[in-house]
Amino acid sequence: MKITRKLSQEPVNTGSMADIAFLLLIFFLVSTTILQEKGLMITLPPDQEKQPVMPVNDRNLFKISINSKNQFLIQDEPRGDLAGLKADVKMFILNPAAANDLAESPKKAIVSLKSNRGTDYAAFIAVLDEVKGAYYDIYGERVGLSGDQYRHLDLDNPRQLALYEKGKEGIPMNISIAEPNK
Amino acid sequence: MKSFKRKTSVNAEISTASLPDIVFLLLFFFMVTAVIRTDENLVKYEVPKAKHINKAEMKTLIRELQVGLPANTRLGTEPLISDGSHYLKINELVQWVNQEKATLPEAYKDQMIIVLKADEAVKMGLIADIQQELRKSNARKVLYRSKENI
Repeated sequence: MKITRKLSQEPVNTGSMADIAFLLLIFFLVSTTILQEKGLMITLPPDQEKQPVMPVNDRNLFKISINSKNQFLIQDEPRGDLAGLKADVKMFILNPAAANDLAESPKKAIVSLKSNRGTDYAAFIAVLDEVKGAYYDIYGERVGLSGDQYRHLDLDNPRQLALYEKGKEGIPMNISIAEPNK
Repeated sequence: MKSFKRKTSVNAEISTASLPDIVFLLLFFFMVTAVIRTDENLVKYEVPKAKHINKAEMKTLIRELQVGLPANTRLGTEPLISDGSHYLKINELVQWVNQEKATLPEAYKDQMIIVLKADEAVKMGLIADIQQELRKSNARKVLYRSKENI
């Protein structure tokens, strides 16, 4: 018997390579979650005991309270929902008509958010969302953008960073989160 | 004038030789951007929705706290705090923050961002207690994790 051996190199069939790669791809797609850290950012005040209490003029304080039944009390006026809150907050901070009962200047304006220990977290976030939205709208308006456009400015881009800085210059986001009452 | 001859039979098959390369590229992209979940969540949470949200800028500064009902129903029906691998009591938070701060470079210690992933049905009492502990331990940047509401 004679065995003939092929000496010529036969190319490996790579047609199934794509299938193997697809299988791996699908495995990674399913088993992983892309890290996405999006949310409402705030900076808490320093520890109470170390901090002197500063008197705040009552007209500079926009008071929002939420009770344990998730009902809102906005500037001493009970409200069923949050419709119009954003416009009210903007009006309060900017005070374009220089009314006596609204903030003296945007810099001095403070939005105070007080909840009850029994308030739902979701209700608190809804209010915080509206207040932050009002501030973003104000910042946006100063540089000729909408609030959403302002929020999506790319801070790595120097020109957009300049717009971002210009928008918030002189108007700090004074959102005070008060200790909830029992 | 020249006369143009048209080939009658053209081999019009698209080459699929580069398909594996394309797929591999995608594969590597997903392998790099994604993090494999190593452990099951200890608590169940459904974060609230919000419209005006931002992204946290520096991923290395992020530490996560989860608040919600325990996944193991035998642990009761009161919301618990978890750091992803252990349950934390409210009075252990200061120690936890200090431990996490020790893992950060010196210059960034005060810039640690706490991502609070709390269930929307959690009561504000617990959230306020957590905030109080974070203030005490000087980890004051808090990101209330929320889903984008379109």
